[in-house]
Amino acid sequence: MSTADFKVVLLGSEDVGKTSLMKRYVSDRYHSRPHNNTIGAAFSSKKITSRGRDIVIGIWDTAGSERYYAMSQLYYRDAKAAVVCFDLTERVTFDRAKQWVTELRNQEENCKIFLCGTKKDVIDEGIKPRAVPPEKVLQYSKGIGAQFLETSSKTGENIGALFQIVADSCELPMQKQETIQLQTLKKKNNCC
Amino acid sequence: MDEVLDEVVPTEDLKKYEKVYHEQLNSGNITQKAQFEYAWCLVRSKYSGDIRKGLILLEELFHTDKEESKRDYLYYLAIGSARIKEYNKALQYVRGFLQIEPGNHQVHDLEVVIKRRMEKEGLVGVALTGGIVLGIAGVVGLAFALAKK
Repeated sequence: MSTADFKVVLLGSEDVGKTSLMKRYVSDRYHSRPHNNTIGAAFSSKKITSRGRDIVIGIWDTAGSERYYAMSQLYYRDAKAAVVCFDLTERVTFDRAKQWVTELRNQEENCKIFLCGTKKDVIDEGIKPRAVPPEKVLQYSKGIGAQFLETSSKTGENIGALFQIVADSCELPMQKQETIQLQTLKKKNNCC
Repeated sequence: MDEVLDEVVPTEDLKKYEKVYHEQLNSGNITQKAQFEYAWCLVRSKYSGDIRKGLILLEELFHTDKEESKRDYLYYLAIGSARIKEYNKALQYVRGFLQIEPGNHQVHDLEVVIKRRMEKEGLVGVALTGGIVLGIAGVVGLAFALAKK
């Protein structure tokens, strides 16, 4: 049914730019005009080379509005990784991101978590200041064992890097598993 | 992109939201939230009977809930209709939606998926004729209902 090798879910408050992040990554496009709120969840996929292997990464871009909160659970349950997004210039979105992280860790311990601070261009251009000191975010992300990246969907900064990190870390356990299986097979062969 | 039409709701989720809906139904006070969540599960079921039931609940919400929620119902009416292969109806909902939000990428994408399915299933000719006959009244009606806001 699905053509993706593994799925990633984007979570976070309304208007932090989850759809822009996905659009920039999948089709390298950015629209500055206001975006229509996502309904439920949108899906896109993209080919990526990770650890020398071509894979297809599927991305569920969930609606940030609270009316879809319960439904987002159904998408992260199915995902190998979650990119929890917050707007670097909006404190409240960081607090919401932390809630998502707590929920993910309680409900889905196998879902890998990545933290993504969006709209870096807004800070770089001096339009709005940072809402959370970067060292605090780093400290938090270290505490939960999640990698943290600051991105800009407008300029494209760190967008490719983010999904590359996600893909590389999701690919790893599978390869390990394969190696283990091969070793066991070998052993068996030797026995007989 | 086809995932939006292919994903299937896990039975335990359908049951969970069904229970909430029925509890409220028995107490005589159904919230729009409970009805929507149940309908959202139903239209993503693998059984067409469930999907049809979901469509009825969504239509009811479309007519009774506030204007700003109607876009969500229209979207899932399109999804549900497409899943039971009522593609013409699905396209009517899509077009009604796009009259109000012409630049909505998510709905444009859905339109592409639906048309591709019709092509695959050899239904393009039917879509053209059937679409015109059925479409006009339906789309105008939906657009009118939405434009009132």
